[in-house]
Amino acid sequence: MSEILAPGNVVLAASAGSKEVAIRDAGVLLVRAGAVDPEYVDAMLEREQSISTYMGNFLAIPHGTEAAKGTIRRSALCLVRYDEPVDWDGEPVRVVVGIAGVGDEHLEILSKIALVFADMEQVQRVLDAPTAGELYAILQQVNEE
Amino acid sequence: MSATTAPAAGTTTRAKAIQVRLQRFGAFASSLIMPNLPAFLAWGIITTLFIKVGWTPNGILGGWGEVTADTWQGAATQIADPNNDGNLVDSVRLYMGMVGPMITYLLPLLIANTGGRVVYGTRGGVVASIVAMGMIVGSTIPMFLGAMIIGPLAGWIMKKIDALWAGKIRPGFEMLVDMFSAGIVSAALSIGAFFGFAPIITNVSNWLGDLVNSLADAGLLPIMSVVVEPAKVLFLNNAIGNGALVPLGAQQVAEHGKTLLYLVEANPGPGLGILMAYTLFGVGMAKSSAPGAAIIQFFGGIHEVYFPFVLMKPALILAAIAGGATGVATMAATGAGLRAPAAPGSIFAVFTATAQDSYFGVILTVLLSFAVTFLISAVILRASRKRDLAKGESGDLQAAIAQTEANKGKSSSALGALAGAAGGEAAAGATAKPIHSIVFACDAGMGSSAMGASILRDKLKKAGHGDITVVNRAVANLDDDVDLVITHNELTDRAKVHAPSARHISVENFLSSPVYDQLVAEIKAADAERARA
Repeated sequence: MSEILAPGNVVLAASAGSKEVAIRDAGVLLVRAGAVDPEYVDAMLEREQSISTYMGNFLAIPHGTEAAKGTIRRSALCLVRYDEPVDWDGEPVRVVVGIAGVGDEHLEILSKIALVFADMEQVQRVLDAPTAGELYAILQQVNEE
Repeated sequence: MSATTAPAAGTTTRAKAIQVRLQRFGAFASSLIMPNLPAFLAWGIITTLFIKVGWTPNGILGGWGEVTADTWQGAATQIADPNNDGNLVDSVRLYMGMVGPMITYLLPLLIANTGGRVVYGTRGGVVASIVAMGMIVGSTIPMFLGAMIIGPLAGWIMKKIDALWAGKIRPGFEMLVDMFSAGIVSAALSIGAFFGFAPIITNVSNWLGDLVNSLADAGLLPIMSVVVEPAKVLFLNNAIGNGALVPLGAQQVAEHGKTLLYLVEANPGPGLGILMAYTLFGVGMAKSSAPGAAIIQFFGGIHEVYFPFVLMKPALILAAIAGGATGVATMAATGAGLRAPAAPGSIFAVFTATAQDSYFGVILTVLLSFAVTFLISAVILRASRKRDLAKGESGDLQAAIAQTEANKGKSSSALGALAGAAGGEAAAGATAKPIHSIVFACDAGMGSSAMGASILRDKLKKAGHGDITVVNRAVANLDDDVDLVITHNELTDRAKVHAPSARHISVENFLSSPVYDQLVAEIKAADAERARA
């Protein structure tokens, strides 16, 4: 799990002015991790225009288009939690998970995140986690029994 | 919920079943043609531009130019007999061009491939293409009807044959058996198609030509449209036009100086009516590509570009027949005629060939046949459009019902029946079908579908149904071999094109959709039902 979602790619932030800013934040983290080329960030913004990546329960999962898979160097995720909700087409988003996925390596950690966010109690723990390290630990604890 | 719909039998259910079957047939025809529409349009553009009577005639691309030392070298060429006298001494070498090979090979192969793929994935598509090749070279007629039949059939045969030894192959040999079984089966089937299937289509075409001949002889002119219009959209237009109508017309021109027979097949009015109806009342890709197709058809005279629009909604053939018959009747009433064949059937070619005294009648013919076809097509498209919209809403209705059930904490049978009705054709077809495989699909198959799949997988596992496979895909990679497809409501229509026979459920929120709990309950109930039976 640590290779796909590195502890350094789980970030707490105060606020993002708009969902575009939040998507760029997530994209920059992926670029900095060496997972994608900078063009991928544009593809993430483009993808968002077709259908919102808002998932419900304060979570959005911006990612690129099918066509932009060529600009992914390796599968990686990043997670940004904002203290102030980001306006995502009218929905309040607190946690943004940026996804760069080729193949299936990222699905294991993504499904852990899904199970966490499907359970409102767990969501509350994520929102309340005082540090990035503790947030990361919550995600790691999940098991899919 | 499935059990409650069945016992309410009677005549209404039978009528409903027929309606469902017709709808599914329409969806199936559309799934064969729709993905290949760009290929039809590309061929239409190339043909409009480069044939001898095209807008920028080009013998090299159009396939009619003679090869000489100082023309383009290195392209595919063929021997041709310019005088059609069978004397190859004066034969010439012509360019192959793109027009002929595309309509003879490319388009039928694409349709066959899509047909095989719909039934049995990529493997089915490959087998279907090989089999279609045998059929194509076994005849001189474009094999569109054949491809629409033989493509799905070949995929189905391969699927059945694979099932014979599924799971019985020694580990390590699966790949070898897979490759050679498909190779051997498709080689055999392609030979069968060459000798068994191609002659049938050839005979049907000849028989239709004879029928048109005898109808013209008997003076039953407007009835000819009942034969001509369906034959046209099956790409037998040249067989009928050049094979039957043009020779007959030539006799009449020799006697009277003009004939209406030349405009029976070449009349661009009905095709324009269908395309304009799509432009105004169609949905999705068909709507947006119809105006461009109309230009190619009406001004370029390449009627083939409207055929797929009829093939994907077969009821429209009624509109084409009515428009064609109106045109023939108008010609007969006004005594109008053409003095030469209008080829291709563009409005310009028609006017060029119109007899001096017949402009009024010919213009009226084109206008009236356009108007009649347009009106009937509009009614048909609007009726099914309502149904399409209802289908789109049924996803929401289903979600609403599921929400109500979830709120009540139990599944009432009345609501269950309602959910079955709201599910429309898919649910009706799936009543008896147990769910073994579920696919979540989203645009890229990267994010939301993966999350939805893990949540449902988790819920099923906790309910003791870990044997049901739940996977995620990109919509474009969907195959029709799954039982249930779950998509975001904006993608459900696209998913239906890729997996027409699966049951489809729309969700708005992949994370916490009430659909998941409802599905788990449904699968549990179906299990209990089977245990009781």
